[in-house]
Amino acid sequence: MQILVIEDDARVAEHIGKGLKAAGHVVTQESDGRAGLLRAAADTFDLIIVDRMLPQVDGLTIVRTIRATGDATPILFLSALGEVDERVAGLRAGGDDYLTKPFAMSELLARVDVLARRGPAIVAETRLSVGDLDIDLLGQQVKRQGKPIDLTAREFRILVYLAQNEGRVVTRSMLLEHVWDYHFDPQTNIIDQHVSRLRQKVDKGYDTTLIHTVRGTGYMMRAGG
Amino acid sequence: MSAPRWRRMARSLTFRLGLIYVALFLTSMLALFGAAYWIGVYQPLLREADAVVAEANKLASVDGDEGRGALIAALDARQRTPGHRHAFHALVDANGNTLSSNLPSWPDEAVRGWRLIEADLYASGEEIDYEALVVERRLGDGARLIVGRDVEDIDDRDELFAVSSAWLVLIGALLAIGGSFAMGAAVGRRIDAVTRTARRVMAGSMTERIPLSGTGDDFDELADTLNLMLGRIEESVESVRRVSDNVAHELRTPLARLHADLDELRMAKGAKERERLTEQAIAEAARLQAIFDALLRIARIESGRHFAGFARVDLTALLADAIELHSPDVEAHGQLLESAIADGLEMEGDRNLIFQAVSNLLDNAVKYAGEGGRILVAASTKGGRIRIEIADSGPGIAPAYRKRVKERFFRVPETAGAPGTGLGLALVAAIVALHKGMLEIGDAEPGTKVVVVF
Repeated sequence: MQILVIEDDARVAEHIGKGLKAAGHVVTQESDGRAGLLRAAADTFDLIIVDRMLPQVDGLTIVRTIRATGDATPILFLSALGEVDERVAGLRAGGDDYLTKPFAMSELLARVDVLARRGPAIVAETRLSVGDLDIDLLGQQVKRQGKPIDLTAREFRILVYLAQNEGRVVTRSMLLEHVWDYHFDPQTNIIDQHVSRLRQKVDKGYDTTLIHTVRGTGYMMRAGG
Repeated sequence: MSAPRWRRMARSLTFRLGLIYVALFLTSMLALFGAAYWIGVYQPLLREADAVVAEANKLASVDGDEGRGALIAALDARQRTPGHRHAFHALVDANGNTLSSNLPSWPDEAVRGWRLIEADLYASGEEIDYEALVVERRLGDGARLIVGRDVEDIDDRDELFAVSSAWLVLIGALLAIGGSFAMGAAVGRRIDAVTRTARRVMAGSMTERIPLSGTGDDFDELADTLNLMLGRIEESVESVRRVSDNVAHELRTPLARLHADLDELRMAKGAKERERLTEQAIAEAARLQAIFDALLRIARIESGRHFAGFARVDLTALLADAIELHSPDVEAHGQLLESAIADGLEMEGDRNLIFQAVSNLLDNAVKYAGEGGRILVAASTKGGRIRIEIADSGPGIAPAYRKRVKERFFRVPETAGAPGTGLGLALVAAIVALHKGMLEIGDAEPGTKVVVVF
């Protein structure tokens, strides 16, 4: 994928560049807001990663300008300003996701993956299936090998989010943001416990596992593993 | 050194109040004496003068009507008439010859109005001193008629006044000065006590308090108020000190571990060992970040920058969500969670922050209720306010620590080993304060009961 990274800190920019390249992406980097904006306007990218605080032109202005031209390229904010109201400001300006510094490379890659492949398909979907698991989004019913699985509303949402991102890593904070509508920092590994309860119902008693743990990062749903 | 000291004394309020007091005292004494003099001396003299003027007029008319002989006869008769006041007169013709007189001397020039002169009478060989009030009439042929009456009693009073007032003013002034000094010293001592204490506190001795006299006067009241203030300041200074000590400790520990991990990593042999150390270092970094984030978050909430997110919050739903979020944790610990949440609880607030607060409290409840423990979550309205109660059946918190658990990094000694950053309740306290609510840590008998009132 073609990714534009606008980040003024050389060390962080290098780290991001390395990580993205290692994951197979083509990376273009700019270190100030004005150059970044010009580059975004001149070329076409699959994803733009932008720091909020930049010299010349700040990140919010860049995103507003890009969106004002009708460009719908997915944009990921990267910022040391991590408070909920700051995130809301970023998302309102037209950002698609928001990652707080410092961050783990695995988290950045997971978000990049999800953002870049987020197509219009999800909107129209009424059914999802992963391997022998079938999810009826309208009827809110889940079946595996034809046998219905009884899930709570929350477990259902977790499962749907994992299934929508089949084959991609979903981090704990991504789950928290998308499944729970609250923005907060859980004190304990409370998300893990929800996922493990879901696993009990979805995977226990079957030969193949659908929900996999990605060590140190999060989870991934994948058929036949 | 003496000049500044003098100037300092002159500037001092008690000294100036003393001076003003002395001046006021003397002025009022003078006014009193003036009034007494007016009533006791001057007024009687005026009355006497009126009487003497009337007499002189009458005698002058005798001279005009009946001739000089009749006047002299009348004067003689007047002199001999016994009475309360002795009568004096002198009749001197135009050439200066005395025609009739019982006065030893009189002024050479004409007396205008009235005057007091010395009048000595000789009686049986002895001289009696009198003070006489005299008036003068010029008769038709240029003769001077001086008539008078003795006013010795009034004059005595006058003298008594003069002497006694001098003494009284002197004594009064001494008393006033002495009194003002004593008063000034008494007030000054109390003020000095306050000043001394304040200076000692400023010099770093936070435990100093202003001594009370025990009389409960307004100085005591002032000292009491100042002492309370000092107590509050000492408390907050102490808590800031404790917090910064704790911050230093809590941040240094993971930093030291991180440092150790990286150090070992440099010397590590084998991929497995490397991975283990890397994972460990990342975990320490994450822990540092979590502490840092929580501290920033608390500071940010305390500085009130979160008001922007205020909106109507459905607390009933929020509490249900929080319980649902924690239910796997509760089950994992084999605990029993009971809830009694009223319908339609709504409030103005920041839903993410309130959720964070409730989640932290539930987290604590699960952590301390222990295996197979019980947790109760209750919420209701009472007197227009929402009351949320979260109780666990754990060991509880000793009363001495109940206030301090809201402090950043404070941990009840018995639970020092438990996981967490020691910032959970501090964050709850900051969130509750932002919503102008009350946070109380109490006893669930047994266990801890946390009550939040919004």
